[in-house]
Amino acid sequence: MPTDLIRLDLRLRRRMLIGTAVGAAAYLFLVVAVYPTFKHDTAFDDMIAANPAAAAAFGITGSITSPEGWLSANMYANFGPLLALMLTIGYGSAAIAGQDGDGLLGLLATLPVPRARIVAGKALSLLVAALVVPAVSYAVCLAGPQFELTPRWGPLLGVSVALTLLAFDLGAIALLVGALSGSRGAAMGAASAIAACAYLISSLSPVAEAVHRVRWLSPFLWAVGDGQLTRGVTVGELGALAVLGVTLVAGTVLAFRRLDIQ
Amino acid sequence: MTVQPIVAEHLTKTFGQDRGINDVSLVVEPGQVFGFLGPNGAGKSTTIRCLLGLYRPSRGQARVLGQDPAAGQAGFLADVGYLPGELRLPDRLTGADVLGTFRRMRRGQHTAYEDDLVERLGAELTRPVASLSKGNKQKLGLVLAFMHRPRLLVLDEPTSGLDPLLQDEFASLLRETTADGRTVLLSSHDLDEVQRVVQRVAIIRSGRIVIDDTVASLRASAPRTIELTFDHDVDARSLASVPGVTLHVTTARHVTLTHTGGAAAVLTAIAPLQPDTITARPADLEELFLRLYGGTTHAD
Repeated sequence: MPTDLIRLDLRLRRRMLIGTAVGAAAYLFLVVAVYPTFKHDTAFDDMIAANPAAAAAFGITGSITSPEGWLSANMYANFGPLLALMLTIGYGSAAIAGQDGDGLLGLLATLPVPRARIVAGKALSLLVAALVVPAVSYAVCLAGPQFELTPRWGPLLGVSVALTLLAFDLGAIALLVGALSGSRGAAMGAASAIAACAYLISSLSPVAEAVHRVRWLSPFLWAVGDGQLTRGVTVGELGALAVLGVTLVAGTVLAFRRLDIQ
Repeated sequence: MTVQPIVAEHLTKTFGQDRGINDVSLVVEPGQVFGFLGPNGAGKSTTIRCLLGLYRPSRGQARVLGQDPAAGQAGFLADVGYLPGELRLPDRLTGADVLGTFRRMRRGQHTAYEDDLVERLGAELTRPVASLSKGNKQKLGLVLAFMHRPRLLVLDEPTSGLDPLLQDEFASLLRETTADGRTVLLSSHDLDEVQRVVQRVAIIRSGRIVIDDTVASLRASAPRTIELTFDHDVDARSLASVPGVTLHVTTARHVTLTHTGGAAAVLTAIAPLQPDTITARPADLEELFLRLYGGTTHAD
């Protein structure tokens, strides 16, 4: 296990990880704490029913005043993935391409550590980065019953795992593009563009027929975009997210073996 | 049978039409300090990266400590210490953190030799790397390269940023390393340093090796400089007709010339001019490099 590689990378991004965790926790705590104010406000549900396209653009489907609807509309369908992806795409583009540009990767790659093991270390660091927002969010939700918000804990745990995998997968795209191109900009740009498209496909699929036909392409839909907070995440959805992640990491190993390192 | 630490055969790495290295072949013998010189962009760092497996060569092959660096096996790197030309260390870590992190990644133990290196080079361990000067970062880089006592050291511009006293300490380290039977590939722009510490030198220009010889042999063929002063006016133009002589400075009472080959013919030509003083400098590789680079004093 390349623990020292993992420790080094996480230490280099410690402030970002801690800052995002604190920010996500503070934001979600506010969301949870104000729930009693909106719990019985049916005007919210009426507004969403009247403007399904606008609501869909924010990833909101179904009732917003139910515990699951409230958490989905305010965190898990939009801000949660946004914060998690900010961490993982940022790390994914920095871990190989960024460190190559900074000159640090050359020192690491001349250690007696095979390149596949270096990628394994980067992938595990990426998994830790992907876990930050879902784990903190789940912990904050545990305070929900104090504020009349009691979601279904099983589906919430499933969505937390799915959100971790979703963030990992999109970070792994940045890792792969970084290993293919050696360019931090290309890695961040490609992963961000794919994430944006995947989000739009998932969120607009209920209201746009053309998008609906290709909705299965979006990993957002597999993780948080299809009522998973209410019905739970299926094994197939988790499997698809996991297979995508493993495939991307395997591709990164192949690309990194061929990368000319500065 | 002793394995040659570095063997490169027709190494070629192309990036575009005008960049990279072409047909680079060299052999570095065990226990040798091998100087690798060339102007900016000549291909020194590209060659080094091919030898360390950082670049995959377009053609040709290399064997480093008996292994092909392009094969993807990192085992040989356990016995290699590398100092990059542009050293970058993690900014937020202290010197002690950097040494500890890289030591653990090499699965090494803290040794008295590491402490000795830190003390001799005066490496700063308590401050974050971001607050260190270029010289202090370079000291950490040197400790990182030497601390596991590798059989092969690949040092790209190792004395960059070091003060003269530390450059002497570095030269001592190199002598101790080769006395131990270990090998050093040293890329440097400092010709004085190279003349002092290397046994063999290769010069690369525009991606091709143009000289690969021992320093003693190069010195034997390098131009020697003679400076003459007179207490009377002379016409020194006759000296230019001596084979191997080039006049550089000629005034009525001051002449500087370089010559190759034996000194007898030059001294015979000088004697009738009755110089007041004669100063002969030892053969200097810089004169050779000046010829090679057409006026460039440093082969960076």
